[in-house]
Amino acid sequence: MTTVGDRTRRLLAPPPNPVPEAARRHLHQQLASELGSIVAPLSASDPVVVTLPVLRQARLRPDSLGEAVEAFAWRPIFVRRSLGLAVVEACAGGQFRTPLEAVGPVADEAVGRWEKTGWRTFHWEPWVAGLAPGARAVVLAEAAGWASALWSSLRWSAIPAHSRFGGADDHWVCPAAPPVRLKGRTELRIPLDAGGPGREEGAVALVSVSGGCPTDTWSEELAYLALVASLRSASLPVPARVLGLWPDAGVDRSVEIDTDNLARAVERAVTTTAAVVRSRLALPV
Amino acid sequence: MAVLDIERPIGRPESLKGPGTLSGVHRPSSVRPAPGPGVRSPLRRSSWEPLSGEALLERLRITGRPRPAVRPDLIQRLRSVLESGLAADTVGIDDAGDGLPVTDTDPAPSPLLVTKERLHRALACEAHARPTGSGPRSFSSSLACGALIGVLFRQLVTVGDIGDPMADGLAALAVDDHQADLWGWIEGLAGPARDELRAEVERQAEGLRRRWPALDPAWLPRTQEAMRVRLADGTVELSARVDLAIGRPARDEASVAIVEATSGSRRVEHRADLHFYALVETLRSPAPPFVVATYYAKTGELDVEPVTDELLVVAARRTLDGALRIRRHDSGTGPGPSPWCSRCSILLDGDLGPWPADGTAPGPASVDVGLRG
Repeated sequence: MTTVGDRTRRLLAPPPNPVPEAARRHLHQQLASELGSIVAPLSASDPVVVTLPVLRQARLRPDSLGEAVEAFAWRPIFVRRSLGLAVVEACAGGQFRTPLEAVGPVADEAVGRWEKTGWRTFHWEPWVAGLAPGARAVVLAEAAGWASALWSSLRWSAIPAHSRFGGADDHWVCPAAPPVRLKGRTELRIPLDAGGPGREEGAVALVSVSGGCPTDTWSEELAYLALVASLRSASLPVPARVLGLWPDAGVDRSVEIDTDNLARAVERAVTTTAAVVRSRLALPV
Repeated sequence: MAVLDIERPIGRPESLKGPGTLSGVHRPSSVRPAPGPGVRSPLRRSSWEPLSGEALLERLRITGRPRPAVRPDLIQRLRSVLESGLAADTVGIDDAGDGLPVTDTDPAPSPLLVTKERLHRALACEAHARPTGSGPRSFSSSLACGALIGVLFRQLVTVGDIGDPMADGLAALAVDDHQADLWGWIEGLAGPARDELRAEVERQAEGLRRRWPALDPAWLPRTQEAMRVRLADGTVELSARVDLAIGRPARDEASVAIVEATSGSRRVEHRADLHFYALVETLRSPAPPFVVATYYAKTGELDVEPVTDELLVVAARRTLDGALRIRRHDSGTGPGPSPWCSRCSILLDGDLGPWPADGTAPGPASVDVGLRG
């Protein structure tokens, strides 16, 4: 079992040698080329979206890729990550001692801001504002539990103050017909060094939190998050490492991002896209 | 098995420890009970009364035993009990039977899911080892009361208060997809049945309010915490969800307490549930929980059991036994209906139709009797 201190030290360790720029360019070109040919049989108005959950679904339950997606409706579990991250950020910033103390005030502040200005930081503010007390308690309980798991996984006093909590998903659109959109969502983006000339920022580590247990291909899945982050902008560095946390299982894993791991992530993105295409064409997956 | 019962006088408090260890006593100025009028010291009471306030917390904190240390050797031993047993009995392992190699492109096989409910079913009668929720649910007032008290307990821990219990409970169920059918069933109740349910929910909610003190946020109280552990190269997954876990993750010694809240009466399987939770928490954490407990909202009883090595080993053996039965059931190699099982014997009489020829369990409408109130 990894201790909190060991896990934090491993996360913040000096970055390994960065992926060479030529290797990065080569992998990106390979990815764009392969994705383009895979999606060619689909209608040009039928875009493909690949995310980490889709990566796992294609591996574990490929038959379900073709199932209709339910219309979106807010539920407490859709709020818990964004509210939980805001709670952990407030705790890490010293505003509150613990997630349970923070969760009510942080939610109230977001709803209050929306009521006053109409600005929706999290999008769920109008839904939460309209909830009865019993339903609101479920939302807060879900977020407090999620935040407590992350809060107790790292030594926050060691985490750099300008780390990013949540924020917009990384995404990259492959200019194929139909387009393929790769999306990556990470919970934390932690700077490891100051960077250098020609770089918007220095080396970073990503942290991803998942439910359940890690799959046997956790390494590729974590590397996929680094791949999408590196595709987003050529001026951003390839993340140096990705730490995955599976609080339900009490497990953490990390992967150092080198050329080989990035290549495996490219392959996984390609095979996942192929599985999605097969499901849409009603071919055996 | 050493058991500290609620009726026994408790020992002297251990020296107080730092925040987050469940040893320090936190008194928020705002809410809920200190042992007030009518709540006497457990050391002096002559007739039994439900514990409340600090006395209830002390009952959880002070088990009369030293807290278990971080023990990698114990965790290894428990894993060994489970994994060697699973490896030794390969009957029922599905190799697909098609002679084709498993490749990287094949879907990863789903693990055998072992929950407390499946363990109960499999150990009571192997023919009933199918997953919970594999058929339509049947509802009752006791089931509804249990669900409502469950969400109200969660609300009390999280926000420190309960308003109108029935309104709050129904609002909570309404946002839970898994409870949509139950919510609809309760909303459809009318007249005396609804009044009776409301009265019982209000009575039990009042007990929760009076007896449960505010939990120090530094203890990181978590409600409905999911716990999962994979065994045997990921082929078996132990899965549990506990009503309340308190205490920061262990560093040098056990620091987590697990509490299950129930609206029903005491049942023998409640202890087995707690032992299963203790086992799963031990396997996923550096140390076992130091205590597991069931809180009975109906009576206010708190049934507390300190976690010992013996408890965990017995829980591992029971879990192994159940997992093997579930695996045999799922693979169709388990026994058919048993004449010693009351539910099976009803079916064997033929009144409700023949037992399926393939050995699978019959339809849930005929045999699905919930084990928990």
